[in-house]
Amino acid sequence: MPALAIRDLEIRFPGLERPALAIAALDLAAGEQVAVTGPSGSGKTTLINILTGLEPAGRGVVNWQGTDLVGLSEGRRDRWRAAHVGLVMQEFHLFPGLSAFENVLLPQRLAHWRLAPAARSEAARLLERVGITQPDQSVETMSRGQMQRVAVARALAARPEIIVADEPTASLDAQAGAAVADLLLELAGEAGANLIVTSHDSHLVGRLGRVLRLDGGRLDG
Amino acid sequence: MLRFIAADLRRHALGVAAVVLLIALATALGVVVTLQERALRLGSARAADSFDLVVGAPGSEAQLVLSAVFLQPAPLPLVRGSVLAGLLADPRVAWAAPVGFGDFVADSPVVGTMPSLVEGLGGLTEGRGFAYLNEAVVGASVPLRMGARVHPMHGHAFGVGLVHGTVTYEVVGRMAPTGTAWDRAVLVPIEAVWRVHAAEGGARAAPPDLAAPVRPEAVADPQAPGLPAILVKPRSIADAYKLRQDYRTERTLAVFPAEVLTRLYGTLGDARQVLAAVALGAQGLVAAAILLVVTAHIAQRRRQIGALRAFGAPRASIFAIVWLEAFFIIGAGLLAGFGFGYIAARAVSAWLTSQSGVAMPVGFAAQDLVVVAGFLAAGALLAAVPASLAFRQSPAGALRG
Repeated sequence: MPALAIRDLEIRFPGLERPALAIAALDLAAGEQVAVTGPSGSGKTTLINILTGLEPAGRGVVNWQGTDLVGLSEGRRDRWRAAHVGLVMQEFHLFPGLSAFENVLLPQRLAHWRLAPAARSEAARLLERVGITQPDQSVETMSRGQMQRVAVARALAARPEIIVADEPTASLDAQAGAAVADLLLELAGEAGANLIVTSHDSHLVGRLGRVLRLDGGRLDG
Repeated sequence: MLRFIAADLRRHALGVAAVVLLIALATALGVVVTLQERALRLGSARAADSFDLVVGAPGSEAQLVLSAVFLQPAPLPLVRGSVLAGLLADPRVAWAAPVGFGDFVADSPVVGTMPSLVEGLGGLTEGRGFAYLNEAVVGASVPLRMGARVHPMHGHAFGVGLVHGTVTYEVVGRMAPTGTAWDRAVLVPIEAVWRVHAAEGGARAAPPDLAAPVRPEAVADPQAPGLPAILVKPRSIADAYKLRQDYRTERTLAVFPAEVLTRLYGTLGDARQVLAAVALGAQGLVAAAILLVVTAHIAQRRRQIGALRAFGAPRASIFAIVWLEAFFIIGAGLLAGFGFGYIAARAVSAWLTSQSGVAMPVGFAAQDLVVVAGFLAAGALLAAVPASLAFRQSPAGALRG
C-alpha cells in the first residue's frame, strides 16, 4: 500500500479559468523521497499546501496512509498535520526571544497540554544531531545556516512520517545549503519518513530519488 | 505557551509599556472622579456630623452652613444677640455657642465662641480652656505651641489684612482632632471679638481691654451684639425638628447642615456625572485606539501566526495566545490605573484637607469590586477581538504574504 495516493485532484481558485492544480494520479511509496520542481506559478506551493493540509483540497482523493485529507475540517487537518507532518520553510519561521531548544519544542507545547516525557530528550538529541552545540542560545543570534538547522530539528521533533521542505536551501549560501540538504536527506532516511522537497537547487534535486515536474498545475511525464 | 507570550511581550516591551500606560491613565481618570467625589461627600458629611443645627439670620442656607461648619469666610447677615440668649435658656438645647469670625492668624480663622463649643467638639488634648478674654484654644492641626502669642489680622481672606496691632491672644489649649475645618481654627472668647471690633469701630485710639476674665453671662445678655451664626446641639431628634421649626422665622433661619449638604451633593452628583461621562469618553477613545494598535499588531504578526498554525498549533492555542497577551496588557493597564487613581485621589484629598481642614477619606468600597470586575470583563471581550482575528486567519495565506 502506498504512503500517499492522489486521485483526480483538482484545485480551482475563483477568477481563474484553468485549475491551479490538476493531478489525475500520484502514488508515493513509504519512505520515498521526491523533489517537486517547476517554474513559479506552476502549482508547487498549492501542491505543498494540499499535501500538508494547510489548504482544503477541493475535489478528488488525497490519501495519506488511510487518511483522506479531502473533506477534512480545518481543525482535523491541523491535528493531522501536527501529528504527521514536519515542515521546513525557506524563511525558517523560528520565534525570536526563544532559545533553539524552546523553538524545537514550541509546536508540541502548543499542540498538547503536556509535553510527552520523551520530547525533551528527543529535542536535545536532534539539536546535537544537526550540529547545534548551544541549545540555549537565542535563535536571533544565530547564523542563517544554524537557524535552518534548528528548523530541521524542529520538523523532526514530533517524529513525523512526512517531512515537507519548501525551498529549504534557497535563502542560504552554497555551503550552508549543502549542509542542510545533507541533514534533511539523512534524517528523513533514518526516520524512514517520506521527504517532499520543492527546490530550484539542482544539487539538492539531483540527490532525491524521484523528481516531479509541475507545469501549469499538471505533472509532466 | 506562557514562555512564548513572555518572549513576545519582552520583544515589544516599549510598545507594551506605552499601551499599558495609556490604559492606566484612562482608567485612573475615571477612578479619581469616583474616589474624589466619594471622599468629598464622606469628608463633608463627617465634618457636618458634629453640627446638628445652625441658626443664623435669613439669607442663603448653603452659605450659612459653609461658613459655620466649614468656616468659609463670607459676610453673613447678623442675627440678634437676643436669639443666642433665647437658645441658651431653651430646655430643648443641650448647648448652643456663637460663631463669630472675620479675623485670621496666618491661615487659621479666628473664631469667637464659648467654652461649651470646645466641649461639644470633643474637648481638649492639651492645656485648658480659655478663662480670660486674651486667651485662645487652637484646633488640632494649628501649628502653634502652648503659650504662643498671636496677633490676629482682619479680613485676611479678602486681600491684604489690617493687623489689630494691640490685640494679643495667648494659646492656652489645644482641641482634640475632629477631622473638620475646626481643626485649623483659633478659638477665642466671643466677647473678645466683640470688644476688638467695637474698639475699632468706635474710638480708634482706644485699645480694647482684654485682660478680663470670660463672663458667661455676657453672651446671655439680650442686649449682646449681633452674631453671624449659632451652633446648636438639641437634646433629642424631636427637639431638633421643633427647634428648626421655631427658628425659621422672619428674623432667623435654622438649618440642619446634613440636609443642606444633601442638596449640595445633588449638584455635586451632577458634576460627577459630567466628569464620569468625560472619563468614560476618554476610556472609549483609548479602547478604540488600543483596538487599532492591536489589530495592526496582529496584521504584523500574520506570518508568525500562520507559521504557528503550519507547525501544528491548534486554532484554540492561537486564540489563547493572542487573547492572553492582549488581556495581560489590558489587565495590567486597568490594575495600574486603579493604583494611579487611588494615589492621585489621595494627593488631591491631602491638598484639599490642607486647604480646608476637612479630612477627606479616600477609599475603595465594595461596589468598586463590581466596577473592577466589569472593566476586566470588558477587557476580556476587547481582547477577544484580535484573538478571533488571529483565529480566523488561514495559515497558508499568512505564510505566502
